[in-house]
Amino acid sequence: MKKLGKELFTNHGADILSYGGLVLCVLIFSFLSEGKIFSAYNFRILIQAVCVYAILCMGAMFVYAMGYMDISVGAQVGVYSILCILIANKTNSVWLGFLTILGLALICGFINGYVSVMLGLPSIVTSIFLMSIFSGIQALIMEKLALNSVAITCDMTQYKDTKFMIAMIVIVAIVSIVLFKYTPLGEVVRSIGANEHATQYSGINTTKWKVLAYAFFGICVALGAFLLTARTGAAGKGTGNGYAMDIMVALLLGGMPLSGGMRSKISSALIGSFTYVILSNGLILSGVDTKLVYIIKAIVFIAVILITCRKKDGVLPR
Amino acid sequence: MSEVLLEVKGMCKNYGPITALKNVNLTVCRGQVHGLVGENGSGKSTITSIAAGMQPRTSGQMTFLGKEWNPSSMIEAQRNGFSMILQEANTIPGCTVAENLFAGKENEFSKFSLVQKRRMNREADEILDRFGIHHMRGKDPIDRFGFEDRKLLEIARAVTEDTQILVVDETTTALSLEGRDILYKVVDDMVANNKAVIFISHDMDEIMERCNILTVLRDGEIRGTITKEEMEAPDAVRTIRQLMVGRDIGEKMYRTDFDASCSDDVALEFEHVTGPNVKDFSLQLHRGEIVGIGGLSGCGMHEVGRMAFGMEEVDKGHVRSNGKEVLSAKDAVARKIGYISKNRDTEAVILQGSIESNINLPSLSDLTVGGILSPRKKKKLSNEHIDLLEIKCRNGNQWVSTLSGGNKQKVSFAKWIAKGAEIIIMDCPTRGVDIGVKQAMYGLIDQMKQEGKAILMISEEMSELIGMSDRLIVMKDSKIAKEFKRSASLSETDVIEYMI
Repeated sequence: MKKLGKELFTNHGADILSYGGLVLCVLIFSFLSEGKIFSAYNFRILIQAVCVYAILCMGAMFVYAMGYMDISVGAQVGVYSILCILIANKTNSVWLGFLTILGLALICGFINGYVSVMLGLPSIVTSIFLMSIFSGIQALIMEKLALNSVAITCDMTQYKDTKFMIAMIVIVAIVSIVLFKYTPLGEVVRSIGANEHATQYSGINTTKWKVLAYAFFGICVALGAFLLTARTGAAGKGTGNGYAMDIMVALLLGGMPLSGGMRSKISSALIGSFTYVILSNGLILSGVDTKLVYIIKAIVFIAVILITCRKKDGVLPR
Repeated sequence: MSEVLLEVKGMCKNYGPITALKNVNLTVCRGQVHGLVGENGSGKSTITSIAAGMQPRTSGQMTFLGKEWNPSSMIEAQRNGFSMILQEANTIPGCTVAENLFAGKENEFSKFSLVQKRRMNREADEILDRFGIHHMRGKDPIDRFGFEDRKLLEIARAVTEDTQILVVDETTTALSLEGRDILYKVVDDMVANNKAVIFISHDMDEIMERCNILTVLRDGEIRGTITKEEMEAPDAVRTIRQLMVGRDIGEKMYRTDFDASCSDDVALEFEHVTGPNVKDFSLQLHRGEIVGIGGLSGCGMHEVGRMAFGMEEVDKGHVRSNGKEVLSAKDAVARKIGYISKNRDTEAVILQGSIESNINLPSLSDLTVGGILSPRKKKKLSNEHIDLLEIKCRNGNQWVSTLSGGNKQKVSFAKWIAKGAEIIIMDCPTRGVDIGVKQAMYGLIDQMKQEGKAILMISEEMSELIGMSDRLIVMKDSKIAKEFKRSASLSETDVIEYMI
């Protein structure tokens, strides 16, 4: 019996911890917030926040599974959000706004996936480059507009409906799970994370799959930025700030090994974004000073790392 | 009997529920080259690593130089005269040769707490010269040297004047022929100075030639000790193998036929290929033919294999398969070429992945239905090949990192058999694999030949090249030096002559 328990833990330790973490978060905060966390109003807030995170995280899974990182997400989301609003306001077409940012996101995916290989650079370098460029563009646009934020004038209410958001999470989740579990893309992406050389020596054109993985991430980033815009109705200098790190923390909370590889699962992205959002939201609802929220998050983060990377083949890269 | 240096009594070692050593007794005396033989996982390295202070024992006693022996680290063991050369590479990248050689001993060279680099380099050169390693100098950066040379440096580091017992653990498979001579000289010197060597190797010929006493292990227990006189008996090798494997595996290791015929169809063709470390290389590999390539380290034979798989740039000339050029690994796989790298753990298999993922990796595109991978097909393909190659595992979900060396190698074979490769390039296919698996591999290679597959076997092991090839190509200085036809009279000395 004891042996069985041990085996269960070695095989599903990350799952137990991540699901357990989510349940614990829900329990603690429903108690601390005196049930406010489940009020109809707050439920809508939760779903809106989770929706953006979950979609970004599921896209990011494909990149993190390869053992790579993309830290340009935050700045990308910021610029896309502003662009989407500007284009929609000018042309009165939200769709045109979305298609433009989708195109841009795919180009960024191409740069991260292909150009980095061509120049012989690690993908994180191109993503640092993109982060700086996009932060610069974001600052420039806002300065040109001489505004702190721009608000959307088109009607986007249908896109921030809770049902629509839930539907988006479900659709992206189904697509990601199918791609990740049941197509060569997912298999190759995990193999690259586990051993890129051996993958190449199996006759696989890793560059092609890298570009595809980044492209899928790009689609998710564009979609995430669009939904964020719909939810907030405005964007400004600070939009998207910190998203790259939030994604990483959410994935960790979901039990994702940041070194990538065969243990990667889409469920980590879902569980992680729920835990992360409930944690942030619950702290505020429980009346914790907003200034302290960051510090508490930091403590939770380090605690998760300490628990999960204590075991061999843990969560962190070697 | 001469003075006892090391005595191990009733040693046991458990890793959790697994017993690695059961009540082992071993005595090493001065003047001995004491061979330890046994299949992978029989406990050879476990005994020596415990004696060298790398890991603690579960129970038992050790005495070394007449005193109780409980080293807590390798450094402590080495200071007291017990040195070990490890299987894995053990040098510090980014440093110079001298810094690696004196790692941990910098204090001897310090003056006013600054390390005197020049004196360190000079003394390093002296030590290297003493070992006959003239091509490495103290000031050279270590990263310039390949695995083989770094291994030599480890020998120079492990053996000092105070060393009483030296453990050589599977070192020779990682060395080139010149390197082996250097190591053999060290072994001979140790014996001449009335010290002792514990020699671990899978290479039976080497064991028979070098050792003057043998201990055979199986499943963590000692199965027999064979003295020099017994080793000279005509069927000694057979007796030893029987002790190791636990059953009579017979004489047959390699192919027994000397029929070098094959189809006239050219499967793979090199036409005046020139590239990194390969000059004007031409070869036609036919269906149903095994071509062996041998040579000293750095002769270019490994590059030839990589070129055939499109992993190395060809500057001039053409590599063609079935008339079409091979430019990338993707091309190669499309032409039904498979490649088994000599660096098994880093290039041939994904250790942190399941057997199933590894076997299916090259075949992913064949396993999809409308772009979706079929879990049923995946399972079927991997299970078929686990059975075919008799890979010892619980099921296909088991991680490759948990398998023994021989079974890992079987996985890297299975990948390409599952893909249906018609041309298989194998670089050192039996490196670090025990006899039982080796014999199975040779049977498999022979069977592939019978099925009309074309095989390019690149190897550092002369006996397997002679034993398996229809044609044997000797490379020297990036060029083909000689080609031998299969024959019963071909001997290792004939071949070596063209290598040097």
